[in-house]
Amino acid sequence: MKVVLYAVQIGASRKAFFSVAWEVDECYWSDKAERIIRLREKIPLGWAERVYGLLGEQWSNVVVEKRKGHSPAQDWNDDLKLAVRWVSGEGEAGNSLSLDVEDVTLDPHRHALRDMEYLVETARLASLNLAGRALLREEATQLLDGVLPTADASAYLATLQLASLTGALQLAAAVAPKPSAPPRSGLRAWAERLRLARPTGLAASRRRPAEELACRRCGSGKDKLRRTPCAACGQACAYCEACLTMGRSRECGLLVIGVAGAGKDLPIPVPVYSSQPAPADTAQSLAANTSQPAPADTAQSLAANSSQPAPADTALSLAANTSQPAPVDTAQSFAANTNQPALADTAQSLAANTSQPAPTYSAKSLVTHITQHAPTYSAQSLTAYTSQRSQSFQPVTPNALAKRWGLSPAQSAAAAQALQFLNRPSFSRSGHTFLLWAVTGAGKTEMIFPLLESVLARGGRALVATPRRDVVLELAPRLAKAFPDSARTVLYGGSADRWENGALTLATTHQLLRFQEAFDLVLIDELDAFPYHNDPMLHYAADKCRKTTGTTVLLSATPPSTIQRAAIRRRLPCARVPVRYHRHPLPVPKRLVFPAVSDLLRKRKLPSKLLKALERSAKRGAQIFLFVPYVKQVEPLVMLLHRHAAKLGIDPIAIAGTSSKDADRTDKVVSFREHSIGLLVTTTILERGVTIPKSDVFILDSHNPMFDSASLVQMAGRAGRSASDPSGFVYYGGPAWTTSQKSSIRQIRDMNILAKRDGYLI
Amino acid sequence: MPLKISSWFAPAKRACLICGRDSAQVTASIPIKHPEARQAITSLCGSCRQSIPWIAHPVCRICGRAERCEDCIRRQTRYYSISRCAVRYDDRMKDWLALYKYRGNEGVESILTAMLAFAYERLCEAAAHSEFHAITSVPLAPERLQDRGFNQAERLALRLSGWYGVEYRPMLSRLRHTEKQSLKTRRSRVVDMRGNFSAATSELFSNVASPRIILIDDIYTTGSTLDECARVLKLASRSETTAEIYGLLWARS
Repeated sequence: MKVVLYAVQIGASRKAFFSVAWEVDECYWSDKAERIIRLREKIPLGWAERVYGLLGEQWSNVVVEKRKGHSPAQDWNDDLKLAVRWVSGEGEAGNSLSLDVEDVTLDPHRHALRDMEYLVETARLASLNLAGRALLREEATQLLDGVLPTADASAYLATLQLASLTGALQLAAAVAPKPSAPPRSGLRAWAERLRLARPTGLAASRRRPAEELACRRCGSGKDKLRRTPCAACGQACAYCEACLTMGRSRECGLLVIGVAGAGKDLPIPVPVYSSQPAPADTAQSLAANTSQPAPADTAQSLAANSSQPAPADTALSLAANTSQPAPVDTAQSFAANTNQPALADTAQSLAANTSQPAPTYSAKSLVTHITQHAPTYSAQSLTAYTSQRSQSFQPVTPNALAKRWGLSPAQSAAAAQALQFLNRPSFSRSGHTFLLWAVTGAGKTEMIFPLLESVLARGGRALVATPRRDVVLELAPRLAKAFPDSARTVLYGGSADRWENGALTLATTHQLLRFQEAFDLVLIDELDAFPYHNDPMLHYAADKCRKTTGTTVLLSATPPSTIQRAAIRRRLPCARVPVRYHRHPLPVPKRLVFPAVSDLLRKRKLPSKLLKALERSAKRGAQIFLFVPYVKQVEPLVMLLHRHAAKLGIDPIAIAGTSSKDADRTDKVVSFREHSIGLLVTTTILERGVTIPKSDVFILDSHNPMFDSASLVQMAGRAGRSASDPSGFVYYGGPAWTTSQKSSIRQIRDMNILAKRDGYLI
Repeated sequence: MPLKISSWFAPAKRACLICGRDSAQVTASIPIKHPEARQAITSLCGSCRQSIPWIAHPVCRICGRAERCEDCIRRQTRYYSISRCAVRYDDRMKDWLALYKYRGNEGVESILTAMLAFAYERLCEAAAHSEFHAITSVPLAPERLQDRGFNQAERLALRLSGWYGVEYRPMLSRLRHTEKQSLKTRRSRVVDMRGNFSAATSELFSNVASPRIILIDDIYTTGSTLDECARVLKLASRSETTAEIYGLLWARS
């Protein structure tokens, strides 16, 4: 899209801005600025943003001088023109941009927008609902559709623009130059220094800074960007191919970034809330406020607050402030606000709000909605918050955790360690990442409950990110059961509550792209699984969605080797759960030497070693996982096994195969769970997530590079999951003995040794 | 870990532009002559390449449909001469077009153009004269163009004109913003199309006796868009000569 570029002079300072809805800016500045100039023609958003940055730097320490015979207005204009020329790369490709700069006459009466009051309300509402989000324009429109009473897409731009002027939102280009600091060491740094030492002249100024574009949303660099002619901005502009599945982010496309905790004190040109004289005194009205039902996401922290006695207590009123921010900062106007006649039925409309996620707001409920939302982060409330926390915070003992959540000793010890890390203030700990390294079948899900509870109890927002959608759907009811009082949001491709802002968010990793600095706790489940593993985009997203003071907790049974190394060398804080919840050691894989699967299939013969082992497993009534490296081997192997079915003592119907290409995969997994399939030939797709109480695992061709040590550990982890059959059998079949096999066995043994040493085994 | 020296000399892996999987060497034949189009199709992986439902032998001589075409029999007046389509519009092709048109993956553009090149070569065989004077495309409403950022028909036409050396001329413009074609019935499509387009008179009409123009669009469903565009173009050229309009479409539904 194209935007209006303009510059404002207030007092002795100047600043450049860009606007997606010019009439709003005109109105906003009409009573504030001394002078405004604007570029008559609209320019692409990407350029405007770069000019904004360039002039911001240039004008940051320039004081407007009033000298005789020198017109400051002239060089102001020139600066603007020069910057636009610089950014647009004038001369390249015959740019025919007319650089007319015009003076804007400021007249507060003329520019007063008719529905400014309404616009201020919508802006406030928008900034509350967009807080912590990073959305493309279409996504923001969809979100606002559910929130704002009107359905006029053109008005949304005005709303967003006003919110951005007040600092509650940041409007930016979705693909923009990467902010890069000059290198500090090495050859590049010397080159940079030499460049700076060059005499300033024509040659020096002609040189454009080497800028590298990157997608603001997913962090992908230039290798994922494609430059195409764009009809929306008339230039060749770049779009990001990496995050295309989540909407197209491009250089002239708008990215709306909600500043977390925004919407508290917007310096609004028109007084909207004509505050009535406050009849009651401050403390009382605040106390009244505390006892009111609140929207679901602040319910917990409020409950904690209101349970304390003494309404006049200042600390309390501050605490109340933390959970219920006022639109205007001072306590008095807060009181005034709450006592407005419009709020007479606060409780009712609020109750309505809580029960309906996206109601059509009447004017009344609009106001109430605004007054009761989103945490503020003023210095005051922070001190109140910390003091409150230091009072209530007691070091959590593993025993208490075990009792509260029914955790095993190993689980509760690790959870306590993680909690301790979580509760430490962010400045007193090194890094913000914590690794929970729990063996397969340790009960990771139960261990995250105490962490979530701790964050939710203090009014924070928590996120659980898992790589796959079916895990999200499986986990959602469990979280709902554990945290019935918190507002929960479940996000995956096509989920209904896509634009909700719950205190507890459960999402697939791709959904994290839509957040920015939103969460106090980010839990990443199975960080070594597809698609999160080896995808820099998702790593960037997971980093981006955490607040700067927040914590990331990584969960894995098989962390990638770099993370393992960091944990072992104590560079990464880590808690290990070396034993399963039933407190039996992990089954250690045994080796079976026989030819590769391709040979077996060619000769149509199964080795007696394998048959004997399979027969033994079938005889003891265990269900069998048979892993092969390639999809194409599944069907032939099933046929081969059918021939030997009688010998194995398994019904031929009970032998089945499945793979990623199989349409009725889910049905087969279900019937495997229901025991109607006794032997399932499969590929790595079933290496995680499927739990069969009594099962044995056979991995054929375990030397194949498709099976790295992590996936071997995961596959081995399918055996012996239940307390009734804690020691299943795991076999590594194949002709060769590789590093992956060795290291996977070492990992399993290490965990068993650790469990024994810590006395977790029974 | 074994050192795989053979992998050092292996060709670099290239991801399929459609599905992202590795496009290994496939020895399926490509029914196109133009080298650049062939190259674009080669960058697909085997399964994607085999799933293209080419219309190699159209049954309907007029619109190039692969089965008997009721529309062409029923129609009384037709403004375009003939049209050819590259593929049948099945679910797979629907996904491919959505990838390009709605999701905005412009990397797919070269593939779609290459497929259109197949239709172009068929059209050259079918048309009496194998020489065309200009290529033009069905325009997009300005609002839609702003939203999408590109006009798919124009992009395909531009590329194709570069490949085959036929001049591209923008001749049509859209006057009205209509609802999406895919949401309407046949009857309302035909009626709604009237007065949607306007054509600019170009010097082509005065220079060439009877200019043969190729009109490019992505999908042929009832042919109402194509026919209306042809009508408008013929009207614009009527004063001097009569233009012959040939339709070239990527898919036939």
